[in-house]
Amino acid sequence: MSSHNTLEQAYDIVIIGGGTAGPMAAITAKEKNRNLRVLLIDKANVKRSGAISMGMDGLNNAIIPGHATPEQYTKEITVANDGVVNQAAVLAYAERSFETIEQLDRWGVKFEKDETGDYAVKKVHHMGAYVLPMPEGHDIKKVLYRQLKRARVDITNRVIATRLLTDASGAVNGVMGFDCRTADFHVIKAKAVILCCGAAGRLGLPASGYLMGTYENPTNAGDGYAMAYHAGAELANLECFQINPLIKDYNGPACAYVTGPLGGYTANNKGERFIECDYWSGQMMWEFHQELEGGNGPVFLKLDHLAEETIQNIEEILHSNERPSRGQFHAGRGTDYRQHMVEMHISEIGFCSGHSASGVWVNERAETSVKGLYSAGDMAAVPHNYMLGAFTYGWFAGVNAADYVAERDHSELDEAQIAAERARVYAPLQRESGLPPAQVEYKLRRFVNDYLQPPKVTRKMEIGLQRFADIENDINQMKASNAHELMRAMEVSVIRDCAEMAARASLFRKESRWGLYHHRVDYPLRNDAEWFCHCHLKRDENGVMTSFKKAVEPYLIALDDNEQQAYNRLRVGAA
Amino acid sequence: MNTENPDILELLPRLTDDDVGVRRIALIELADLEDPESLPWLVHALGSDPADEVRAEAARLLEAWEELEVVEGLCAALVDPDHKVRVAAAQSLSQLKTTEAGRVILPWAEHADVFVRSSALRALRELRLAESAPMALKALADGEASVRREAVGILGWLKQTAALPELARLVSADPDTEVRRVATGALGFANDRSVLQALVAALGDEQWQVREEAATTLGKLGLQDAGPALVTALNDDYWQVRLRAARSLGKLAYADGLSSLVQVLGHSISNLRKEAALALGELRDPAAIAALQAAEHDGDPEVRKAVRISLAQLRGGQV
Amino acid sequence: MAYQPQDIFFRSTAPVTVDEDKCIAHKGCTVCVDVCPMDLLAINPATQKAYMAFDECWYCMPCEKDCPTGAVRVEIPYLVR
Repeated sequence: MSSHNTLEQAYDIVIIGGGTAGPMAAITAKEKNRNLRVLLIDKANVKRSGAISMGMDGLNNAIIPGHATPEQYTKEITVANDGVVNQAAVLAYAERSFETIEQLDRWGVKFEKDETGDYAVKKVHHMGAYVLPMPEGHDIKKVLYRQLKRARVDITNRVIATRLLTDASGAVNGVMGFDCRTADFHVIKAKAVILCCGAAGRLGLPASGYLMGTYENPTNAGDGYAMAYHAGAELANLECFQINPLIKDYNGPACAYVTGPLGGYTANNKGERFIECDYWSGQMMWEFHQELEGGNGPVFLKLDHLAEETIQNIEEILHSNERPSRGQFHAGRGTDYRQHMVEMHISEIGFCSGHSASGVWVNERAETSVKGLYSAGDMAAVPHNYMLGAFTYGWFAGVNAADYVAERDHSELDEAQIAAERARVYAPLQRESGLPPAQVEYKLRRFVNDYLQPPKVTRKMEIGLQRFADIENDINQMKASNAHELMRAMEVSVIRDCAEMAARASLFRKESRWGLYHHRVDYPLRNDAEWFCHCHLKRDENGVMTSFKKAVEPYLIALDDNEQQAYNRLRVGAA
Repeated sequence: MNTENPDILELLPRLTDDDVGVRRIALIELADLEDPESLPWLVHALGSDPADEVRAEAARLLEAWEELEVVEGLCAALVDPDHKVRVAAAQSLSQLKTTEAGRVILPWAEHADVFVRSSALRALRELRLAESAPMALKALADGEASVRREAVGILGWLKQTAALPELARLVSADPDTEVRRVATGALGFANDRSVLQALVAALGDEQWQVREEAATTLGKLGLQDAGPALVTALNDDYWQVRLRAARSLGKLAYADGLSSLVQVLGHSISNLRKEAALALGELRDPAAIAALQAAEHDGDPEVRKAVRISLAQLRGGQV
Repeated sequence: MAYQPQDIFFRSTAPVTVDEDKCIAHKGCTVCVDVCPMDLLAINPATQKAYMAFDECWYCMPCEKDCPTGAVRVEIPYLVR
């Protein structure tokens, strides 16, 4: 075996992922019980990790008293998701989220306020007002880091968690991983684990062909999805892919919710608006896709009609937060908002419940279907949760995990699981020669584009499954020259797992739903009679990937016919 | 300065190194511990390090510590000879959240130096400290626009009714555009018609941002008497102002605005047509139905949606 | 003699470059190395200065923004520029 060290530790709660939800979960668990030993591990460095590593320019699902109500919000999310939601999970977010805003505000996160000190909520959506800008949101990670340190949470950076350990009863009792600089192996006993690993953002290949030019932070390769799957957790509605409109080639968000309240909008090549759909949803992406592919394409972000002072304000916000290299990109292409519309495109596919609904199933307590395993943030299946939902569910996970571990002891780790994972992780380092991980990743993700990109075609997805099985053989021939390349090699295996899940989940639901996210050419219509249900996916007792239906939970807030119809009237039919 | 924290002890030699860069990096590592025991060294560096980049780093790193010696140190750094240090200290002060910190800052708001005055006032705004109101009221007459701007912020956030006449005076009399604009916005907490005249006058301000703010604030206040002035604002040179005027007429449900809003339905900027369509629904007058029907096939889907919403409202249906 | 596997390397230009006159890594600074989410930067043991070791940049900018001396420059990778 290799000469690398194995480090063994024990904690009450281990949180994997230090981006948005993870720090909140860790701080909350410590606040709940100061005596708990809480560890936050991150494959990067928690100072600048995750989807908001450079900050965030606004909230787009803020439910602020006087502007929107939890009930109204829950209705809108229900409608935007074609009815397939667990309203209890959405409502739990909606009812708690204002407290999250106030907590972040106390910590020093800056939200826009008007000249009387009230939150400057903007109306973008049809029924309620949910947009709260954060023009000074670039400090958010700094604020979180400070709170983490002051809460005395232990932090381990640059360790990639690869598998969870489970006890005889199937409950999670530990985490395994390795250091991406030393390749040391880590085995951490835990009474509870909280997965906050973000989206599966390296599933599709960006149109640029550049592996790391993804919409998501490319550290978010889908590690959490794969770990949850291998631990036996159920994943929900994975066929509801994440696809986002973005700036072409740059592949960063166009931030319509920043420019929208200031008068900017998405336009076709005639400079005219074309989006009928009100809510960020697969339906909106369908309309975007149709325009892009039709004679009115390409699609643009139009700002050239705004006043000079407004454009300066937009540049100030968009070029300093979230993706600050945007100004440099526009300058390089000679694009000036004053004279030119900005060419847009749609992103590669991914899993992300933060923007759509594809995630590891959780209930309103952030519990997964596996005992001792919690999840929050982009990877946890609460639809359209975004950043504020990640914080809010991080809070739920922290509170509930702290309660869960209170009366529990560590259980014995299974040495066979540890030995198997050690062997799997180190195999690429031990090969004398072999395939380069970057090339295997490129080919795998090109196949994802070729066979899984919507509109989805049955025969293509079946071929895709065959190709993903072939890639499994390639994975067993990868060579890594150092610990860094080993990290990339392990990520290829994660991406392959996600690709197979995406194909199987998409083949299982034999209807079309959620606009472009799950448009099946062979089943072009929505079929409520057979498919008004969640579709879950898990690894069964025999290790086989299995899909099954789960009934939609009874609604807590009923939608009347008018509300349903008002929305349907706004729709463009599937062509 | 004493500690038994081994992490701090380890850093001490580098904190007193002869090299500026070494001291600065050691200071960053010290702050990274987020341990209150490290504060004396940080405060000492802020006040006494001979190198301006080290003092500036200390000023940045001390952000979000509310301890009185930190706040005092940051206030003192507002008069540091180096510009970077002063700016960093002002930024860190603006992050504070406790009223105790505010009381330390308070006397600095009357400092002879403009930068110190405006920075202290800026830091006080979010704290909503009642004691800062009289000082802010006085500062409304300050010779420097940056100071007046921050003073307006304090009074607006405190929602000081007693300050309304002075704020209203600034809306029309202040020579600085940004001061007039924020003062206009600050009038939004008024709960009577005392500010109406000032806001209506602001609709005629020479700068469009002030007019836009005035149109918005009049909607927030919901004063019916503002109707005629808002109707006039529908002809503003800037569509941005017209848009806010249309929205506010909707909020007021100002019945006499109907024919003017109907005309706006034909404007070339679709953002404005959309707002006019929505406002016509809010007026609840079926007389708008014909005009809205004529706009049902507008080229812009957002306008069509707004028209549908308003028609549903006028026909008594739910949206 | 049987065919032997042989590695061959693709050339790339680093999108992240460091001004070694400004870099103070030799004084103990590791800020840019710490903040890179992809772990692409390292300190060169020979020069004791920071450099880009792996070409997988997401052009997210913390290395440039957080550098205490302004020594790091991020250019958008050629493929997406």
